[in-house]
This record gives sequence, C-alpha cells and structure tokens, in this order.
Amino acid sequence: MAKLAVLAGAAKYDVSCASSGVSRGNQGGIGSTKQCGICHAWSEDGRCISLLKILQSNDCIYDCRYCANRRSNDIPRASFSAREIADLTMQFYRRNYIEGLFLSAAVEKSPDYTMEKIILALSLLRKTYRFHGYIHVKIIPGADPALIQQAGLLADRMSVNIEQPSEQSLRLMAPQKSLPMLYSPMAQVRDEIIVNQEDRKKLRHTPRFVPGGQSTQMIIGATQDTDLTILKTTAGLYDTFGLKRVYYSAYVPVNQDSNLPALATAPPLLREHRLYQSDWLLRYYHFQVDEIVGPAHANLETDIDPKMAWALRHPEFFPLEINRASYEELLRVPGIGVKSAQRIMRQRRLAALSADEFKKMGVAHKRAQFFVTCKGVYSGAKPFDPVVVRNILAPKPRATQLSLF
Amino acid sequence: MDYLYDSSFEGFLTCIYYSYSREKADGIFPEAFYQPSLMTRSHVVVTNPEYADRVYRAIEERLAEDSIRHIYYAFLAEAPNKENIMLDYLRLGFRMGAKIDSYHTHPQVQPLHNISRKVGIEVHRFLGLLRFADNGRFLHARLAPDHNILSLLANHFAERLRNERWVIEDEKRKLAVVYDGKSGARGHKGSSWYIICLDDLLNYATIEEDPYQELWKLYFNKIAIESRRNPRLQTQFVPKRYRKNLVEFEPLLYMGDKQE
Repeated sequence: MAKLAVLAGAAKYDVSCASSGVSRGNQGGIGSTKQCGICHAWSEDGRCISLLKILQSNDCIYDCRYCANRRSNDIPRASFSAREIADLTMQFYRRNYIEGLFLSAAVEKSPDYTMEKIILALSLLRKTYRFHGYIHVKIIPGADPALIQQAGLLADRMSVNIEQPSEQSLRLMAPQKSLPMLYSPMAQVRDEIIVNQEDRKKLRHTPRFVPGGQSTQMIIGATQDTDLTILKTTAGLYDTFGLKRVYYSAYVPVNQDSNLPALATAPPLLREHRLYQSDWLLRYYHFQVDEIVGPAHANLETDIDPKMAWALRHPEFFPLEINRASYEELLRVPGIGVKSAQRIMRQRRLAALSADEFKKMGVAHKRAQFFVTCKGVYSGAKPFDPVVVRNILAPKPRATQLSLF
Repeated sequence: MDYLYDSSFEGFLTCIYYSYSREKADGIFPEAFYQPSLMTRSHVVVTNPEYADRVYRAIEERLAEDSIRHIYYAFLAEAPNKENIMLDYLRLGFRMGAKIDSYHTHPQVQPLHNISRKVGIEVHRFLGLLRFADNGRFLHARLAPDHNILSLLANHFAERLRNERWVIEDEKRKLAVVYDGKSGARGHKGSSWYIICLDDLLNYATIEEDPYQELWKLYFNKIAIESRRNPRLQTQFVPKRYRKNLVEFEPLLYMGDKQE
C-alpha cells in the first residue's frame, strides 16, 4: 500500500494519458484497445485517468533540478517488482479501472539496468498473463538500442521526455543530460517503426513495433524560454521524429532552487492551455508555427486564444463566404472547429447555407459571427473591425469589490 | 391515425410498416403511456417480426450508412416523444435517401441526431466509468445510466473480458446483462451474452473484501496534483449523478504516508 502511494505520487507529473491510436481485439487472454482511447476516471485536478501511471522505482542516479525524485532530495524511496506491477495492472484492468499501464522509472543504477527491469515487467504482462490492453512505456535515454527495440515490441506507445525546449535550459536544469542523448532513442524508434510497417506489408504476422507511436513532454514555466522557442521545438519534433503528441506540463515547483520559480508559485495553467490550443492548430488546423508566434510576438496572448489572435492580425482574410470557402479556410475562422467545418462542407453540397442554418451548425456563433458571410449576408452584431471585436470577445476584467474605506 | 406499440424495437418498426402499407401514421406512441384524444383515432399494433425485419433492411439499404445506428440509439434514449422524432426522420429519409445525414440543420434530422449523439456519448462514457467488483464468483457492475445502454456496452466487455464471468446491472431499469465467460463478443460465434429483467437488484453486490478497491482509491487520490485542484472540471467529466456507483468517490480508509 505504502509503495503504491509513493510510486503513484512520484509519477503524477507525467501528463501523457492517451490510450488511443491502436485498435486491437482480444487475442486470447484479457484485454483489447480502441482507436479512440477510453478515459476511465477523472481525478480531483480534472485530469483524466486512463492508464495506471506508476514509476517502477523512484530511486534515481540523476539530479535534475526540476524533479521531485532527484537524487539529492530526501524522500521515501521504493520500487516495485515485475510481478507486483503485472498483478496490479491485471487486477485494476479486470475491474475496468484502467485502460492499461503507463510504466515509467527513475534511472536506477544505470539506464540498461532500469530498461531491463521494465522489459521484465512488460513481458510478464504480455506473455505470461496474456494481457492485450494498452501499454505506454518510457524509454530510458542512454539504454542499449537492443533493449529499446525489445521493449518496443511489447509496448503500444513509447516516449522520451525532453522536458526542456532548448539545449541551454536543459544544461541548466539537468546537467547530466543533453538533447542529442534524448534525441537518439527517438530517432531509433522512428526508424524502426518505418521498417516495421514495411515488414508488415510483406509478412502480415510480423509483430507490431510501437503501433501507437511516440510522444514527449516539455515543462512549461520552469525556465525563461518563450512560447516561440517551445512551439518551434514542438513543430521540429513533429517533423523530425513523426511524434504523435507533444505534451506540456505547467511546472509545479517541488524543489527550492535559485534557478527555479519559488515554491509558492502557482503553475502557469493558462499558458499551458494556450500552448495546447496552438499545438492543436499545428496538428489539425493546418497552421504553421510562424503564423501563431513570431519574433514580434514571442509569447501567446493570454486573454484571447491563438486562433482568434491570428484572425485579428489578419483582417484582410475576412469576412469569409462560408458557401465558397475551402475546408482549410473554414478552419481558420474563430468558432469553427474540425467537426463543424466538416458539417458545413457536407451540407452545402445539398444547398447553400443561410445565416440561420449556419447558426445551428454547432459553431461558436458568438465568435464566428464577425468573420463570415452567409449567401453574402454579414450578420455580426458589429461591423468587422479587429479592435471592436477584440473588445467584445476578450474577457472583461473582473469587477472587484470596492473597499469601504 | 395514432399507432400504439409495445415499447419494443420490432414493435416500432412494425408501426412504420403499417404507416406505409396501410394508413399514414399521425404519431407513434408506447401503448402503456398513451393519452387518447377525441381528435385522432388510435390502433394498437401487434408486433410482427417479419414486417419489422423488412423495415430494418429498407433503412439499411435506402438511407445513409449511419441511419440505422442513429435510429437504434434514439430508440434506446430516454426522451419524450422520441418515436415521433424517429418517424419524422424516417419519412424524410425514405424520400431523400443516403443524403439525409448531410442535412444537419433540417428540422426532421437535427432532433434525431441530437438524441442519438447523447446516447453515443453516454455509451462511450460508461466504457470507462463502469466499475466491476470481484465477489469471488463473478465480476459485478452496477450503473444508473440516463439512457437504456446495456445492449450497447455488452459487446465491448464480452470482447475485452472474454474469459471472465460478469454481470452488469442497470439499477434504474432493473435490467442486467449476463455473460458466461466463454464465447467472446457477439458476431464471433453467435450470441454470447443476454439481457434479463430483474425482480430485484442482486444483493450480494457490495462486498467489502475486494482489496483492490482500497488500492484503487489510494491511487486515485495520489495521482491528483494538489496545486491544480479543479473540482469544476472534474464534475464536467464525471457528473455527480454517476458517482454513487464509482468506488473511487467513497471515502478512503487508509491514506498511505502523508508526506505530500
């Protein structure tokens, strides 16, 4: 019991929770995975619990400044045996508490030693217990490529956390790590996924290698890096390594350190939210990084979302006639999302959309009204002018109670 | 003419059959809740599986790809007047054919899409929010969903927990799905689970001896980040009405060490 408390508490700063991207039936034994992923519970911070997220051990040889489990911290240390991990996963899974396992680990003794222990737990689950649920596993940077390959054949998704968006911040925060050291396993996994996909075209029964792809995570707000740096790095990671997701984690101060925000600092949740919105623009809305942030505006605005910010910087693009705009153009309209854009495309094939019908499409009309015309008719409450629109849509400063004196 | 049916899906489809083959329906209502009026005549329809099957296949063949799913989901919804929303949709569907589901804002389409979506969302939610307890003989889950979704949950668990014996109880409707732990999801080798009506809820349901419930509660508490506490967000995802059957919302007996 105490062990679970320590090793779950130690794993909670890892934000990845996805159980998506793999569709697999039960191949005898227990478990299946769904393409869309399934969330099973939501904890008090409102984050979803999909996988049993635990550290195999929190006993670390590294001393990264931002980390709660760094070597120089005096905290209770514990580790799970492979059997304990496998049993806990199986029993939670049978009761439908979880969608699978997210296994991470502090680097205990050496990267190879840690990776071997992880593989032991995974093969017990997959082979002995015939578990076909979702498994996300951390790659321990510096581990032997052969071990990484072995783990990849047992897992659905793998990840290396780069934690810092620039080499400079990484050197400051984690003196024992470097970006090349983190990138090399990513490159290995990328290449092996490609080879594996080719092999599977020839031989259908070739075991799958990391079918759910890779992800990574960056800490937000521990260092001075701008949103420009963070998003550039993000886009680079998607392009270079074909990552499925980049996660952002608003830094929760856990250590007293002159290079870090003070312990009482609240995590920058709004900034994290804006970064996720930008990440969505990159992945689903055909945006480029330099359209979202640039040297002149290196940080995202907090009071309006990044797509709205782009729209207000580009009044020449609007208003857009929704019956003629392309799908990509529709996605640029604040208030129109992927689903409503698809709906508009489908329905306008039958007949041109009127303003009334547009309202019923499931768009956020409050925002979209200023940016579109329907059959040539503009029906925004005010004429389109970036300054006016910004005033209407930006959150009003909250009224404060006047002091009596 | 109002058609009255026995609240079964086949019964509803039989009404549609009569509406086209005999006399046009003004409305379709469950017989048990029908309020007769002076203005319209009514007729109690006897369910006919053969007619129902013909309508079913006509919907599959002549309407959009998802139409039969929308209709079935809507049928399982707890929505007043759902039969007439379904009737409106089908009428338009038999005229428009496969294009019907593209006409999102049409007044005969949108209401049906809306209730079908609500049911779909609840099904997906309960794939995650269902909790089994191990009572030594079988896995037992209890839930109180807004809509009648048991039949839509069964295949998922028959596939996933293929070698387990399990029962899922709907305490609101006193229904249960029972699975024998042998045959896998439906469609593999015929029917493997079945739905039964309960006189009373199973009473050996709550067992205190499942040690993993305590571990799960402990994990649930430990994984939350204190400085990000956000109960409002949590309530959006897990509405209060579902929490009665979620073991993690019961008080924790043991808190581990209180270091954090």
